[in-house]
Amino acid sequence: MIRSIGAASIALAILSGAPAWAASPADSPVNVPEPEGFWTGPPKAYTPKTLTGATVVDIDALDKLVAAEKPVMIDVAMADQKPVGFPTDRPWLPAHRSIPGSVWMPGAGAAPMAPAREAQFLARVADLTGGDKTKPVVTFCHPECWGSWNAGKRLLQNGYTRVYWFADGVEGWQDRHDTTILKVDAAWAAKPAGEAQR
Amino acid sequence: MTTYAPTPISATKRSFTAALCLSAAMLMGGSALAAGASDTDTERLERWQDIAKSIFGDRIIEPTDALIKVDAPPRALDASLVPITLMMPEKDRIAAVHLIIDDNPSPYAAHITFGPAADPSEVKLRVRINNYTNVHAVAETKDGKLYEAVKFVKASGGCSAPMGMSDEEALKGAGDMKMKFAEGGQGKPTEATLMVRHPNFSGMQMNQITRDYTPARYINKLDVSSNGKLVFSMNGDISIASNPVINFALAPDAKGPIKVVATDNQQSRWEHSFNTPTPSN
Repeated sequence: MIRSIGAASIALAILSGAPAWAASPADSPVNVPEPEGFWTGPPKAYTPKTLTGATVVDIDALDKLVAAEKPVMIDVAMADQKPVGFPTDRPWLPAHRSIPGSVWMPGAGAAPMAPAREAQFLARVADLTGGDKTKPVVTFCHPECWGSWNAGKRLLQNGYTRVYWFADGVEGWQDRHDTTILKVDAAWAAKPAGEAQR
Repeated sequence: MTTYAPTPISATKRSFTAALCLSAAMLMGGSALAAGASDTDTERLERWQDIAKSIFGDRIIEPTDALIKVDAPPRALDASLVPITLMMPEKDRIAAVHLIIDDNPSPYAAHITFGPAADPSEVKLRVRINNYTNVHAVAETKDGKLYEAVKFVKASGGCSAPMGMSDEEALKGAGDMKMKFAEGGQGKPTEATLMVRHPNFSGMQMNQITRDYTPARYINKLDVSSNGKLVFSMNGDISIASNPVINFALAPDAKGPIKVVATDNQQSRWEHSFNTPTPSN
């Protein structure tokens, strides 16, 4: 008993130290703390086991959710970067494989994010959920990718009550199921309102 | 990460199905797909056809079990360092091989042309794999025909995986080379392993601190000759893993020093010579 109290106080001490580390990546996947707000550190780094307010799902739980309720699936994985100066005589054919039926909004987990872009994201999710903030929404990208954590956080902050974070992402899915090549969501690919002239 | 269950059967089945579909499609002039293929198989086949067309134009590629085989671990431990073995048992018929990683954004990983000082029966190299993908090996015979083999590989994120060190550190000693020989014995080909120090930056790797993409810098040409006679010439790409390692074999009568000339896409050029082992028997 005494020992467990000791462990708890150590855990508390670690948690209270968390803000100081908020933007530097954890050096171990064990007990990665949740940042207070969005994660603004390196986009690819160890992620926490939790997202307070959301349900973290593995592939079993996701399969059940998909079968039962057809959640809105949002993939925020970054698009492949075409190398500058890539030779013109070789094929460049990026193909983003993802969970069939998902909506791909690359970079939607970025933080900080320009207010116009954030509004565009929220408007698109409102559209996908039919304005129902109790509809289940799943965010994902890749393992050790903070984008989907941030996207889930963004939805929680904006009143969505059933946010699911699928931390294993496309890799967790393709281990069991087929993937399909997705194009960037057309509404997300468009420039945010107010930037049309640029 | 607890959900990984090995599914080698489905992987084998998938690449096999893809190969079957391909041959069926080609029998039908490439216009129809085999009935019963899943959406994914169809999608993978269509992608391969697109890639093949962009590389080989309208040339016909026949499936083969004999002229070329491609081997890779069905599940790669490190997607940025996936070992690939190309086997060409009817070596005297082989002029060149092409390695294509279908789902990489830059699928055309390598084109290797063999010269008179080569024994083209086996080549090994290490590649980056971006996603669960078919890997195609296309052999070009001396009479100008193309033959393909395929293998499904499970690996993900290899093209964008950062090297875990600064760019300057990764570039240190770029162009240094080593070569190891394993003697095959009297009348047998000498196997050689060429190791080139070079980060082979893909241009898709983000520096996690600055959020900038490290500019692409990769070995795009590797020429190996023995006493002035070509062993092989390789056109490489960003899909070749950092610090390229390539295993090949020398023709039994290939003698004299081995010269390697490497160039990268930033116009750097390196040249090294290696002495072949003196026969011990």
